[in-house]
Amino acid sequence: MNTSCTECGATLAVPNDAIVGELVSCKDCSQEYEVAEISNGNVLLKPAEQVGEDWGE
Amino acid sequence: MKVSITFDRLRWEEKALSEAAEAAGLEASLVDSKGLVFEVPKKHPDIGDVVLQRCISHYRSSTLTLMLEGAGLKVINSYSVAETCSNKLATTIALANAKVPTPRTFLALTSEAAEVAADRLGYPFVLKPFTGSWGRMVTVVRDRNTLQSLIEYKEELANPHEQHMYYLQEFVRRPPRDIRAIVAGENIIACVHRIAPPGEWRTNVARGAVSKAFKPDAELKEIILKAAEAVGGGILGVDAMEPESGYLVHEVNNTVEFKGAQSAVDTDIPAQLIKYVSQVARR
Repeated sequence: MNTSCTECGATLAVPNDAIVGELVSCKDCSQEYEVAEISNGNVLLKPAEQVGEDWGE
Repeated sequence: MKVSITFDRLRWEEKALSEAAEAAGLEASLVDSKGLVFEVPKKHPDIGDVVLQRCISHYRSSTLTLMLEGAGLKVINSYSVAETCSNKLATTIALANAKVPTPRTFLALTSEAAEVAADRLGYPFVLKPFTGSWGRMVTVVRDRNTLQSLIEYKEELANPHEQHMYYLQEFVRRPPRDIRAIVAGENIIACVHRIAPPGEWRTNVARGAVSKAFKPDAELKEIILKAAEAVGGGILGVDAMEPESGYLVHEVNNTVEFKGAQSAVDTDIPAQLIKYVSQVARR
């Protein structure tokens, strides 16, 4: 499944077995996205959350 | 029995846990916590009777666990365990009170008191944030001048907990590695050395440390299980060091990452963790 990076416009390839919630990043600009929705072979991405101070194990 | 794996960042670990749950024949689902809305204190229709809490944000994780327990669900790990593990002071208190060997630690509640505590502990020591992970903001303080500079930086922080209070810990002379044990209930699922990368003293996998499997001796096994019990038990990552004076447990992780350990051991870690989840579910 292909879509475009909203940051740099590059083509962003999302694996066909991706699931909602999974992270993908743009190979050109490294912008990180989260898979928000998949329907009929189309994928909708949203910017992934940034690392927070309370993130961790 | 329906099992839900709640997450806010879907990593390899959560996917592996979901696959292991399916392979074990459990009715399991991955639930993105970011979209959940609760009418307090009701159950959520998307969430099963048993929850494996895997949120990466501590505050989101513990708040969600509080809500789920309030709705009568069983959560691994419990709110009490999450709170103990996410606050380094609470962890140290739990370990010390359970007679688990842990590094000497001081608490100071102002910057002036921090300097007094530093003199009592002696330089070098390690200054750690109360909350946080992956070795972030963990600093070796080698002299008073460095401490004074760090105090100035800390006073600029927005978080009052980190701004005004100080957790100081003995700098332990150890090999350039530490020990990570993954525990589920009363079993040690995997045990690895985490070897710090060149130029880095911290041994977090997030900092580039490499994992290497080893078999813990009887003394270490006992200490690891005692540490897990001290914080309340569940699925945990117990971190220990091995100075010449004997083992010391310095941290217990509530949402243990195990990708690094899995790369070093033959044991199927997610399968073993799910085995524990199904045991808890049956209780």
